[in-house]
Amino acid sequence: MSNTYKIKKVVVKTEYKVLAAILIILAGGLVLLPKYEKNSGIKPESFLLNIMSTERYVTTDQIANKMINQDPNLLLIDVRKKEDFDKFSLPNAVNIPLAKVLSSDSEAYLNQDTYDVVLYSNDNCYADQAWQLCNRMGYKHIYVLKGGLNEWFNTIINPQEPKITDSDLAFKDYNFRKAAAMYFGVGNKTNTAPKVKPKRVIKLAKKKKKVAEGGC
Amino acid sequence: MGPLIPNGVIPTEWNFVIAILIGIAFGFTLEASGFSSSRKIAGVFYGYDFAVLKVFFTAALVSMIGIYYMDYFELVNVEQLFVLPTYTWSAIIGGVIMGFGFVLGGFCPGTTLCAAAIGKIDGMATMVGIFIGIFLFSEFYDFIEPLFDGSYLGRITITDSLGISPYWFIFLFTVFAVIAFYFADVIRKRVKKVFY
Repeated sequence: MSNTYKIKKVVVKTEYKVLAAILIILAGGLVLLPKYEKNSGIKPESFLLNIMSTERYVTTDQIANKMINQDPNLLLIDVRKKEDFDKFSLPNAVNIPLAKVLSSDSEAYLNQDTYDVVLYSNDNCYADQAWQLCNRMGYKHIYVLKGGLNEWFNTIINPQEPKITDSDLAFKDYNFRKAAAMYFGVGNKTNTAPKVKPKRVIKLAKKKKKVAEGGC
Repeated sequence: MGPLIPNGVIPTEWNFVIAILIGIAFGFTLEASGFSSSRKIAGVFYGYDFAVLKVFFTAALVSMIGIYYMDYFELVNVEQLFVLPTYTWSAIIGGVIMGFGFVLGGFCPGTTLCAAAIGKIDGMATMVGIFIGIFLFSEFYDFIEPLFDGSYLGRITITDSLGISPYWFIFLFTVFAVIAFYFADVIRKRVKKVFY
């Protein structure tokens, strides 16, 4: 056996020992690392940014316009309690009370890619809270009706006539709102009840949690 | 962030391209480390060469430790990774058949293709055998089906069924593997050397 062969043999032997030691140390490191609870959903920083942004708000005029044009992508969700929803709500809305936003039944409505979901309550306070929950979970296409139903009533159902000195735009808005109000049944003097459209049935497929498929 | 494709970091369309690249690298590595020789795999059973055992154990250790470190630093979500569903009896019986095939042919499915690709006749013969096996399985599927689909346990992992923390399991498994390497060497030194 030559000398260099001996040295090589020693080097290879110690190399294996070093490699084995590295593996054991790394595995031991996993055991010793301090454990922490992982956040589900989006990161806190981006959540904060999303909350500060006002991109989530849509105005009553926009919603009225979409409803009149029967935009098939619009999905209205009323986050008030069931009693309030039964008394009055927007046409074709779905009721998901704030407390049930995170329940598994509501997930199909909120965690989807088909519709633009608009949340509303009496003001936008509860709707904002529901939006925060959804945003935190990483749901997409969720919006909030700015001012909620009160704003809806003040602008669409009972619009204020602008002053004579107001801009042209204000008059345009006013005209649109008056027309919209008629569409939604205001000033319907003939004693027939406004046509009640059949309740829209929304077929929803639960979004499957994506799992990598594969095998050997 | 990861896994990259299910989370949309890499578009799904790239799936097959990446699979082909990884497959080529895998085949190249198998051939480069001499796994396309049937004697290498048979050596594990006769005790003169434990390279296969070492390579696959090391691969398991490296990926296991790596994935859990990546999970810890939130680069990969372990819960999103694919876990092969467990069917107890079909796994046991299939494992026995595969084990026989290993000793008889001296190939695992991957190395068969490598050996066939470099022109080894026994590799090609094993490949034909694989297809005969697939054919028989498909023909007798109705007969085998209750066994094949029976005793389904779902996508369970060893840490679920043992109720042990994955970190501890990884540590114990690593220690076990290193001990196995050591004893494999001890056995190899006692067995008569085979040159090939």
